Amino acid sequence: MIEVVNLHKSFGKLEVLKGFNEKIERNEVVCVIGPSGSGKSTFLRCLNLLEEPTEGDVIIDGVKINDPSQDINVTRQKMGMVFQSFNLFPHKTTLENITLAPIKVKGINKEEADKIGRELLERVGLADKAEAYPRALSGGQKQRVAIARALAMQPEIMLFDEPTSALDPEMVGEVLEVMRELAHQGMTMVIVTHEMGFAREVANRVLFMDGGYIVEQGTPAEIFDNPQNERTKSFLSKVL
Amino acid sequence: MENLINVIEAILLHGVGKTLEITAVALIFGVILGLLACLGKMSRHFIPKAIATVYIEIIRGTPTLVQALFFYLGVNSLLVAASGGQIRMTPLFAGMFVCSVNSGAYVAEIFRAGIQSVDKGQMEAARSLGMPQKLAMKEIILPQAIRTILPSLGNEFIVLVKETSILSVIGVVEVTRAGQLVAAINYKTFSTYLGVGIVYFVLTFTLSRLVNLLERRMAVSD
Repeated sequence: MIEVVNLHKSFGKLEVLKGFNEKIERNEVVCVIGPSGSGKSTFLRCLNLLEEPTEGDVIIDGVKINDPSQDINVTRQKMGMVFQSFNLFPHKTTLENITLAPIKVKGINKEEADKIGRELLERVGLADKAEAYPRALSGGQKQRVAIARALAMQPEIMLFDEPTSALDPEMVGEVLEVMRELAHQGMTMVIVTHEMGFAREVANRVLFMDGGYIVEQGTPAEIFDNPQNERTKSFLSKVL
Repeated sequence: MENLINVIEAILLHGVGKTLEITAVALIFGVILGLLACLGKMSRHFIPKAIATVYIEIIRGTPTLVQALFFYLGVNSLLVAASGGQIRMTPLFAGMFVCSVNSGAYVAEIFRAGIQSVDKGQMEAARSLGMPQKLAMKEIILPQAIRTILPSLGNEFIVLVKETSILSVIGVVEVTRAGQLVAAINYKTFSTYLGVGIVYFVLTFTLSRLVNLLERRMAVSD
């Protein structure tokens, strides 16, 4: 479903991704771990072209999306994204945050969009916050709204960029719970995370990145209990 | 005192209308021009960027007084010559034009600062939902930018009211010119120009209160 070929990304002289291939299948939950600066987030952001690859291809559902002739907006509708810093729209209510894109991009009428929006809020446990503005929500609530906002476009893939890193510890659980639920429903997910326990529990596959490459990958058991690469071992010994 | 009241009365009767008219026109076209120039300046393409940059730099780098003289006297003389005396712009039209173009350049920079003050995660979130650039700009970035720029935009509007006084030199009978005409009749320069000042102050103070009110109303919906 997602395929990257020889993916390179440089920012000026700094080469962040140094050329690797990766394939992610439908219904897979893939967690990307690794030290900071290893290129995890850049890799994720290349998947929906928030970062344009310097070299190589990103292929979604057989379509090479970094081809300039492709309408990236169509592909992005199939890929929801959740950010570390939530990025909710502060001038819109919770419900409006969720319904804006379905109404303006997909052309769904407002009543229908509101209905979908309220169902999604219910699903992330925030049915009573529909009329609240983002500033009145806690970090965990904001992130759950952000997930609902991404889901409102009925994506086939969800990308998570360190979704719990900006949260107070006691709010991490509520966000992971929503993500766990999604994984169980068969959503294809790519998650950049520092939550090793969560990765072990939910992931089908774990990618360990370091220095711009995917250094090692395997099932959570393989990576966490029996890592082969020295760098993986060294990283895990520090975080586990 | 009685004199002062007479002066203000005369100005209200003969000058305020034009000042308000020019300000209103320049305010509207200034915002439109400013938005266009701002988008041009932020464009990735060379031509709109070049046009916007040249426009902003030239207007900001020359005095409004010179712009008014150049346009009304200079450009007008070319126009008259070229059309064999058929076409001649009125002082009022020239004044509105100069004020709009002038204001647009300053508004453009205010808009740009406002747009750049919006966190770039906002654009990324909008784009990640599949919104095209323009839609994201209209729905997400501009509404947030407007809020942050409202105070500086209000300031620009107040400057605009005062700048219209420059048009007295090209024969637009606005508040300042009306004052000059009154002084030429009554020779009471002190009370006349005091009256002119009072009229401007009432106009700008009212405007600043209105902008304040708008700011507070926008803050409520935040």
